[in-house]
Amino acid sequence: MATLTDGAVLTAEALEALIARLGEPDWLAAERRAAWRTYQATPFPTGRDERWRYTQLNRFAIDGLELVDAPRDTGVSDRIAMRITDSDAEGTLVLKGGELVREDRRLKQAGVIFTDLRTALRDHEDLVRKHLYSVVNAGDGLRKYAALNAALWTNGTFVYVPKDVEVELPLGAFHTADRGGLAGGRTLIVVERNAKVTYLDEFTCEPLGERLVNTGVTEIVLGDGAKLRYVSLQNWSRDVVQLNTIRAHLARDARLESLTVSLGGDAARAEVEVSLQGPGSESEMLGLYFADEGQHYNQYTVQHHASHHAHSDLLFKGALRDASSAVYSGVIVVDPGAQKTDAYQTNRNLLLDGESEAVSIPQLEIKANDVKCSHGSTTGPVPEDQRFYLMSRGLRPEVAEHVLVTGFLYEVMSRVTLPKVAQYVERVVQAKLGVPGVKEKL
Amino acid sequence: MSDNRLEIRNLHARIAGGETILKGVDLIVPSGEVHALMGPNGSGKSTLAKLMAGDPSYEVLDGDILIDGESVLELEPDERARAGLYLAFQYPVEVPGVSIANFLRLALNARREEGDEVGVMEFYAKLQRAVKALDWDESIIERNLHEGFSGGEKKRSEVLQLLVLEPRYAILDESDSGLDVDALKVVANGVNAARGPNFGALVITHYQRLLNYIVPDMVHVMSSGRVIESGPKELAMDLDAKGYDWIREKHGITASGDAVAHA
Ligand SMILES: Nc1ncnc2c1ncn2[C@@H]1O[C@H](COP(=O)(O)OP(=O)(O)OP(=O)(O)O)[C@@H](O)[C@H]1O
Ligand SMILES: [Mg+2]
Repeated sequence: MATLTDGAVLTAEALEALIARLGEPDWLAAERRAAWRTYQATPFPTGRDERWRYTQLNRFAIDGLELVDAPRDTGVSDRIAMRITDSDAEGTLVLKGGELVREDRRLKQAGVIFTDLRTALRDHEDLVRKHLYSVVNAGDGLRKYAALNAALWTNGTFVYVPKDVEVELPLGAFHTADRGGLAGGRTLIVVERNAKVTYLDEFTCEPLGERLVNTGVTEIVLGDGAKLRYVSLQNWSRDVVQLNTIRAHLARDARLESLTVSLGGDAARAEVEVSLQGPGSESEMLGLYFADEGQHYNQYTVQHHASHHAHSDLLFKGALRDASSAVYSGVIVVDPGAQKTDAYQTNRNLLLDGESEAVSIPQLEIKANDVKCSHGSTTGPVPEDQRFYLMSRGLRPEVAEHVLVTGFLYEVMSRVTLPKVAQYVERVVQAKLGVPGVKEKL
Repeated sequence: MSDNRLEIRNLHARIAGGETILKGVDLIVPSGEVHALMGPNGSGKSTLAKLMAGDPSYEVLDGDILIDGESVLELEPDERARAGLYLAFQYPVEVPGVSIANFLRLALNARREEGDEVGVMEFYAKLQRAVKALDWDESIIERNLHEGFSGGEKKRSEVLQLLVLEPRYAILDESDSGLDVDALKVVANGVNAARGPNFGALVITHYQRLLNYIVPDMVHVMSSGRVIESGPKELAMDLDAKGYDWIREKHGITASGDAVAHA
């Protein structure tokens, strides 16, 4: 397997130039430099790395890529504009090549902050300082790409919901691009005690004609009893490679419902790591992917039960065709003392042809004795009896396949509590399946 | 003589790459008639039914299957369905995530030209009529295809689909098994509602009981992969009273011929 490098384009000078350009406070510059040192000290992942086994590493190469420092233009595509019009969101931002290019906000509740990170650093520096890097930082074994992001991110979103405030309608950001290179965005979500919010990160762009590698890090901090529904929806054009880390800390009785969707891009890696630090905390982790035309999807999940009486339930399902591939690797970690843990982990793959491949590596590391944990995975072709049944009613083979894929993904879709998101995901899946008349409506 | 009929000619077939199950089946169901097909367990009735519908897990070795005089052997299952054939399965499968309503809409539209999709009102009117004919609750159409259905509900769903899709020929494979008398009457009414000069049916059953409600024009008996006897509806009563041995003996067949692979 090829060894990865960054081709010497990324240098300490490039970092200093970025710091100077962004004009950020000193503490942040220091964090960036620390992350940069971690990045340099950390080798690129190899196939021997447990967390990266079976990954097509060369597809995540970054060598020779220049940092994206600004978009070519600040226009918002019709597609995104339409999605914003069609959404029921209380607030949306559009970030393009690190610039905030559009914001629509109807926030009603006092104290709720929803803005881009650069603005937040100016207007709410103390809050940002308190939480930024608190979940993904240089100190705790920051991984190669996450370290890169920590050093070089240019913008992102900041969501802050003060205690006892419930934001009814979703908030969301579109992350988009109009040029290739290496980009980094960051999302910081802080939900204080007994507060509640729904937030979506959506990644999408028109075809670029050049390669873009986007690194993303989402830090989630949930206070006691806080509730967050979080969606990460990756539907990049095929020029894009995505490396995304989503990490959450849950305090006592906090609840996180996450959904990670991979439909676009050339290759995408999503790391979803939840640390259940408070007793009674709960994490539902849903994942959905549909790879076609050689796409490579890679997911790594951690359900870390650091405290007792916590519950986590993970279900990742994906369909594959046209020589595509997927790797799911996930671990449930139960610390000593995390008694009465209730943890589930399931990965299922549907192979629509003989050329596609899916690997599933579920793992358990249990150091407590009074726990309920289970994990399982299946990978297999379309059930022939189902296909025959559908066709025996007159459905053409391609329509029968749509039904079977939709049916397979239904187990995840039926648990998505956001109708607009479910509808959109369903339409993208249908468009990929070639259902007539759908693509036009996206 | 009219070509409007379902016809099996000297059909020999096996499980793909495996054992031969059908050993020369001859059968004709003219349009406008309902025929019953009976026979011991393992005699090949379901195999025949699935072969007619084009199940890829079986292989035709010899003979032909014709709809209105046209061979359908080279047609895929969906093409056969669109040519007017319908199979009510003995064991309908579950397909998660697709409601009966959506599924039937797709099935109806598959029979129509692109751009001529069935209208919403027309579709629901049709669906409602069928649900009513089966004395069923309307909420059933929003349920996912057979997910969590009881055996009886699955059978009823197969007949519901038949009523909506209005095939030229239907094969009902034990649509009566496991039904209590009330449900049986409902299913029989459903089939009788479809009866007419342009509809032919082959009703596979073990029980004379069903044939009290769906009175057949003819009864065929299958054993060891062949149709060994055909006769008027009274034949079913004889079978009900006397079993299959006398008829097997008459044709020099041992009972083991049917049960071998079944065991
Ligand atoms: N896919 C298969 N794999 C293995 N054996 C099969 C398969 N299909 C049919 N058979 C065998 O072929 C024979 C005929 O089966 P078939 O289901 O057609 O019988 P049947 O007449 O419908 O029986 P029943 O009245 O019990 O429904 C049986 O011995 C059965 O076990
Ligand atoms: Mg049978």
